[in-house]
Amino acid sequence: MRPLDWVVLVGSLASIIAYGLYRGRGSNTVDRYLLAGKSMPWYAMALSIMATQASAITFISTTGQSYVDGMRFVQFYFGMPLAMVALSATAVPIFHRAKVYTAYEYLENRFDAKTRALASVIFLMQRGLSVGLTFYAPAIVLSVIFGWPDRLTTSIIGVTVVLYTVTGGIRTVTWTDVQQMLIILFGLVVALVMIFVLLPRQVSFLDAVHLAGSAGKLNAVTFHFNWNDRYNLWSGLIGGMFLALSYFGCDQSQVQRYLTGKSIAQSKLSLLFTAIAKIPMQFFILFIGAMVFVFYIFEPAPMVFQRVEYNRIQQPELRARYEPIAARYQDAVERRKAEALAIVEARHSGDARAENQAIANYRRAQQDVDTARRQSATLVESTGGEKGFRDTNYIFLSFVTRYLPAGIVGLVIAVILAATMSSSSGEINSLATVSIVDIYKRHFRKHATDHHYLTASRVATAFWGAYAVAFAGLGKHLGSLIEAVNIVGSLFYGSLLGVFVLAFFFKRATGTGAFAGMIAGEAAIFAAFLFTGISFLWYNVIGCVVVIATGVAVSFVSGATSATPGTAR
Amino acid sequence: MPPHPRDLPDEPPPFLGTWARVYTAVVVYLALLIALCYAFTRAFS
Repeated sequence: MRPLDWVVLVGSLASIIAYGLYRGRGSNTVDRYLLAGKSMPWYAMALSIMATQASAITFISTTGQSYVDGMRFVQFYFGMPLAMVALSATAVPIFHRAKVYTAYEYLENRFDAKTRALASVIFLMQRGLSVGLTFYAPAIVLSVIFGWPDRLTTSIIGVTVVLYTVTGGIRTVTWTDVQQMLIILFGLVVALVMIFVLLPRQVSFLDAVHLAGSAGKLNAVTFHFNWNDRYNLWSGLIGGMFLALSYFGCDQSQVQRYLTGKSIAQSKLSLLFTAIAKIPMQFFILFIGAMVFVFYIFEPAPMVFQRVEYNRIQQPELRARYEPIAARYQDAVERRKAEALAIVEARHSGDARAENQAIANYRRAQQDVDTARRQSATLVESTGGEKGFRDTNYIFLSFVTRYLPAGIVGLVIAVILAATMSSSSGEINSLATVSIVDIYKRHFRKHATDHHYLTASRVATAFWGAYAVAFAGLGKHLGSLIEAVNIVGSLFYGSLLGVFVLAFFFKRATGTGAFAGMIAGEAAIFAAFLFTGISFLWYNVIGCVVVIATGVAVSFVSGATSATPGTAR
Repeated sequence: MPPHPRDLPDEPPPFLGTWARVYTAVVVYLALLIALCYAFTRAFS
């Protein structure tokens, strides 16, 4: 990083945090600290919801995902607008009118204390694991750029996040999210413009799009149905809808956002705005990844983007295995570049036959590039590297740090760090809220002063920050981070969604039925995860259906039993 | 003393008149997006 990068980086982050703290002043009661005194406008909530989702992982991993696998990941978000409509019509008014601090508090009103406690514990486990991953993503950034140890990076970011989250509560979290989202949008546009500026002069925008498409990177919609296929239209619409229902309807880190709304209408608008904006934004980010792919057709692309592993497999003792793969890769890359230029030339001259021939050769070369990259990953894995090694998370950052000019690098790094801070601050804030409201206040200290609970909330926030930093190291064992986060979520979300569906739509469901349903749902999800190859997007569907079926059955049996004359109720 | 915001009834949306119309518009928008993504895939792949 050059001096200008440091100025942009430090200046951006300091101003975001200062502005957030300024807007968060006066958070001196529990209601203001945890729910912003119900004062937030819809646009702030909407940008905060989007910013919490758009963590550093969004930049680092999604772009790399597109480079490797194309744009089909966008289908993952197709179910979100349907979920947002459903939640706006049901969960938002129900939660608002129940006057709750957390979604799980509502479960006690509707069912009983044990159902609320189980749901709270499931949330704490799931979100506690995810928040560690959120911290790990920027650690990759700084380890690639500066070679800093992961632990040091996560600790510095963690301390900063905890300080401003403890101080300002959810109001600071929300307003830093707003700033962060605006910087993200700006950074995205700048990154894409820079890619086109850096492409060879003879390659136009449309040429670049055609080259990406010819290599199969613009596969935004695929109709092919397969239970084991992660991203297609059907898994996106159905599985994605269930995941979004779970995430926005049952995950306190999101529910707490729209509970801060001035009114039910403001909260609904925040969700619907997110529904409208999310797919185009993800499309744009994936498109950037596809354009990075095109950029690397004309520039020397490393066979392995993770620099440490790449250097390791080039050591003398591995040379006999590395060199044949590297030679095949180099040959394929050169052929790909030549054929790409032939495609561009044929397009410009209008020679369709030459273009088709060049595209066929280009695709063959791309297949050889992919094969060599797979072989290099296998070499990394089989010689002491990480099991299931993938370099997806390093692709975009390698491009940024190597090719973007001074100032822009600092801006992109600032975006990534700010995204991490805002995402993790929201998660930590929600973890602290559930710990205090659903566990501490409900089970350990029922009648204390507002000041006591405010102090307890701040202590819990600090605790969860420390916990997240401690667990951040798990990220390096989980492959693509964006998938890892969603897989962890899917292991728990299905049963949470199921219990809320029971609460909202099954009037005869009982607390015992809901509790048994959640246990059965979790068992079914873990069975699917451990013993089948079913894609993680379907776990939410499986968990939800099992919770409802078991909950209804047990409620019917327990209700009939408890209704028997002479039975104590 | 004004009512607490949480006690306020649901208010109509600022556009399209009813929430049902707003929800329908979001679903139509989704269908349009999917159609555009499909056209994009077909055009360039």
